[in-house]
Amino acid sequence: MFRLMRNIHLGLGLIFVLMALVFALSSLVIIYRPYLNTKPTDIELTVPLSAQATPRDAARQLMSAHALKGELRQIQEKGDTVRFRIVRPGENAEVVYTPSTGEAKIKMRRHGALETLVQLHTNHGLWHDYLPSNLWAALSLLASIGLLLLGATGIYLWFAHHHERLIGTILLSSGLLFGLTTLYLTRLQQ
Amino acid sequence: MSNGRLYEWTKKIHMYSGLLTFTAFLIWGITGVHGVFLPSPGQYLPPPVSSVRELPFKTPGSLDDQQLAKAISDVIAVPLAGGRYNIHRDSDSNLAFNIFTINGGREVTYLEQAGIVRVAHRANSLLSYLSSMHTAHSRRHRLTAYVIAWGYFNEFSTWAFLFMTGSGLYMWLATRPRLRWAQLSLLASAAFTLALWLSIR
Repeated sequence: MFRLMRNIHLGLGLIFVLMALVFALSSLVIIYRPYLNTKPTDIELTVPLSAQATPRDAARQLMSAHALKGELRQIQEKGDTVRFRIVRPGENAEVVYTPSTGEAKIKMRRHGALETLVQLHTNHGLWHDYLPSNLWAALSLLASIGLLLLGATGIYLWFAHHHERLIGTILLSSGLLFGLTTLYLTRLQQ
Repeated sequence: MSNGRLYEWTKKIHMYSGLLTFTAFLIWGITGVHGVFLPSPGQYLPPPVSSVRELPFKTPGSLDDQQLAKAISDVIAVPLAGGRYNIHRDSDSNLAFNIFTINGGREVTYLEQAGIVRVAHRANSLLSYLSSMHTAHSRRHRLTAYVIAWGYFNEFSTWAFLFMTGSGLYMWLATRPRLRWAQLSLLASAAFTLALWLSIR
């Protein structure tokens, strides 16, 4: 049994090692953001599209002919212009399309690797129109389940080390007592 | 330090870190599973109103809406208030705004003619609460001693998590680096994760 648990612990750790790094590093980016350079790069450009296109058609043209990738969000029609966004983790394009002329003005914001990690961390839900976002969310789900299983198998492996039981019990109960007490007392402050 | 002693100490600290921060991992794991099943922004529905309270309040008269919202916030003293937003006039021209809290938002309406402030609480679920708490760190949610203490614990756990990722890899390489299925597991998952990373870049 010990051997099986050790192999499961190792296997889960290796399968999710990169996702663990994504979550750990992105958390540190969030915490230490004031000290890091996470400024995005902004680009503005104007491109011609076919006139009188629907917002979805205009977005599709931008994706196929102008290398924009992501999902279409927040379509707003106002006067003779249509605004929408094409979003994916790490990049956000705000588009103002004029159907009468076919002109599309794009404000593109591209984030560096650190901020992209943060956006992957917070990329949740399996409802995205952009397949990689759904795949990341699915991978996050598996990594979260993997984390819980790593914790459970880790507890088993610790308990099998008889000479570590006393100090381990003190550490585990201290962490549980501290964490659960602070969470419980905060929850009471309604 | 000999390789044997380095391994033994790494294993000890790996184990102790995991035991001490187990609570945080539990919360992160639960929050991660919960997050995947959240609805899209367009389909989000706030939780129902769980309680309403009314307090008497008289307008000083010379305050604009922003200042008045602040004055009302000071009087109603919502526990764990994280900031006011959406300050506006409702359909009856009453000043209305929202207050975010870890334990669910408040909808505040000032019934100026009657001199009453109405505070509606939309208590969130335990999972939403844990989701908010999993974002706490040494500089975020500095509201009460309990939240600050949790924030430090959460931040410490993040470092411990990073350490355990590195030390776990080291312990594998130090003991069983030629394990074929382990090599393949790492290779396959790394290839998939990297491919996914490249697809969005």
